[in-house]
Amino acid sequence: MEKSRRNFLKITGGFAAGFVLTGCRQEQGKVVEERKAQIPKGPVRIAGVSFLTGVAASPFGIPGDNTFRMLVDIINQQGGILGRKIEFLSKDEAGGVDTQVKLARKLILDDRVDVILGYISSGDCEAVLPLSDEMGGLIVAYDCGTHKLMEGDSSPYSFPKYKLGFRSAAHLSIDNIGLALMIKKHFPNIKAIAGINPDYAWGRDSWAVFEAAIKKLMPNVEVVGTWWPPLFTTDYTAHISALIGAEPDIVHTSFWGGDAVTFTKQALGLGLFSKMRVAYSRGEPIPQEIGRDFPEGQIIGCAGPHYFLYPPPDKWPLNKWFVEEYSKRYGKYPTYPCYHAYQALYSYKAAVEKAGSIVGTWPTVEEVAKMMSGLSIQTPSGHLSIMENHDGIEDVVVGITKLTPKYPFPILDPIEVFPAHMVNPPVGIRTIDWINSWEV
Amino acid sequence: MQWFIYVLNGLYFTAFIFLISLGLNIILGVMGILNLAHGSLYAIGAFMAAWVIITLSGLKGVPVPLLYISLISGALLAGFVGLIIERVLIRPMYGRALEYQLLITFGALLLFEDLIKLVWGGEAYYASQPFDILGKIQILGNAYPLYFLLVILVTLIVGSAVWVFITKTKMGIMLRALSLDREMATALGLEIDKLSTIAFVLGAALAGLAGSLIAPTTPVLLGFGMEPLILAFIVVVIGGLGSLKGAFIGSVIVGQIRSIGIVVFPEIELAILFLIAAVILVVKPEGLFGR
Repeated sequence: MEKSRRNFLKITGGFAAGFVLTGCRQEQGKVVEERKAQIPKGPVRIAGVSFLTGVAASPFGIPGDNTFRMLVDIINQQGGILGRKIEFLSKDEAGGVDTQVKLARKLILDDRVDVILGYISSGDCEAVLPLSDEMGGLIVAYDCGTHKLMEGDSSPYSFPKYKLGFRSAAHLSIDNIGLALMIKKHFPNIKAIAGINPDYAWGRDSWAVFEAAIKKLMPNVEVVGTWWPPLFTTDYTAHISALIGAEPDIVHTSFWGGDAVTFTKQALGLGLFSKMRVAYSRGEPIPQEIGRDFPEGQIIGCAGPHYFLYPPPDKWPLNKWFVEEYSKRYGKYPTYPCYHAYQALYSYKAAVEKAGSIVGTWPTVEEVAKMMSGLSIQTPSGHLSIMENHDGIEDVVVGITKLTPKYPFPILDPIEVFPAHMVNPPVGIRTIDWINSWEV
Repeated sequence: MQWFIYVLNGLYFTAFIFLISLGLNIILGVMGILNLAHGSLYAIGAFMAAWVIITLSGLKGVPVPLLYISLISGALLAGFVGLIIERVLIRPMYGRALEYQLLITFGALLLFEDLIKLVWGGEAYYASQPFDILGKIQILGNAYPLYFLLVILVTLIVGSAVWVFITKTKMGIMLRALSLDREMATALGLEIDKLSTIAFVLGAALAGLAGSLIAPTTPVLLGFGMEPLILAFIVVVIGGLGSLKGAFIGSVIVGQIRSIGIVVFPEIELAILFLIAAVILVVKPEGLFGR
């Protein structure tokens, strides 16, 4: 009796479970079929927003935009993303914050883009990223450097700040902590440092992080002066003479683009480099811009592990392929904005494919966002991880310039690679609080 | 002897800002027009010179002196653009209230930003060959770029020529008469339109020359004219409206205070100039040498 009751329960239970499972499967299959039917027939619309005009176009925006175009061609030749070809909308970042906010609204609401990959200016990133949640559009910041983009007002801060907003690169902490670590390792006997940085948030933040890090790592080093010329200054002679007069061993700068070129050229004319070294926080594109005149012995940060000779092409074929492909198309070696553009596009592609493999169809923006958080991909520079606060973390390469017969500009030799955990704050802790907590 | 270099830096900045403010002051003095598009004329000069230098440098067998002579191209184009501005935009504004002139020249400033973008594109122009070729010399144990000394020399020559033109030639005397009393000059039968055109073209060409001279020292890019326009206004406020002597003394004050200020008060390098201009406006609103 007991046995038959058990058998009955087994049989009915089995039937019930089978019925439920079959029902679920059928229900699930129905949903998938419905969603498959909802897959847009047209291409994936990806907007790339970079400076195409103005001061940041030549050093950052155009190399970034060129890279997007090149990679879109390649991905399309390989069949697109989940079988959909990419339609790339190249947009200009010029015009200021208000213009960019309007453009982002238009891209998401009117043009119905699937994702915006964009922004070199930190101001634009801070203004546009909140629109991601507000309008339900995925936005991936690809190059802007402010460490405040995903951080809260105090530590520990809650995250993510934006559900649909990401950054696919590390922020300025890696540049400036990397410089401080490099100085400690290669120039441990220096006594004095100075800073010359552009007088806006980028310059002020870069110096604040560098100063905090160098004071922790080398407490006996004295800061002998800081200078804050306005952005786009055309005459740095007075600043350079003041630096020479202050007699630091090393000068920290976060100059970029035309400002970095103007400062370097005028500093060469005034003999600054024969008296001290300059540490450029994101200087990687500048030697290629200036050529053989760029002085040897200067300390250069690469905004991540982004350098055409690192990882060595013989050990990391993806970098070899990327450098060759870019050089063939544009006649120059790729600079760090090119690597950042790769990271943004391939992060998005990987997240869509990963989400697609789970839901069996084209994923929603929320599903893509879930996959982007915690994503890790291979890139030409090694590995990129996007953390739970939706910010990228990377190693950083810092090198010292050296002329060789092989290249028409100084290369970085030696280089040091500082791993991600040494230069990126832990998730939930503000950069400055993290540095201040170091016990050195 | 580092202080000697600080003074030299101040003189270089004086030279560059003097050419711009001299042009601004001539237009203001003779025509009574505050030309907000003056910075655009400076930018046009810089773009033109940079473009010519880059083009010449790309050709084979171009003699080096030609690169330096080509710097005049910026002044010539800015002068020509000045002629068009005066004929098309400014002339209908004579006799109207100051607000109209400000609006029309501000409109021209915006228009020229877009025109520059249309003609030369959005990328920066690097034309450093004239700066690189000259190299540097040693002055009292300090390196100094020869090109900066060349800029100071050219400014001295041009400034002296303008002074001779204004004070010693018949045309210059007529311009001064016009600046002193427009109604009386009209009553005396002076050709007001022709003199106004000459003043505007001269002022525009001086702005263009300043842009040309600066082009080899820095990448030329969109929005290039704003910083010098603001500094030129400070010079005019300090030196005095419509005064050549004021433009010179104002430029020397701005150049030297900026140079020394960056050494002594690096945190307030720009604020100190605005502060001086504010004090002058309160104590002597017409400027040190204004009328």
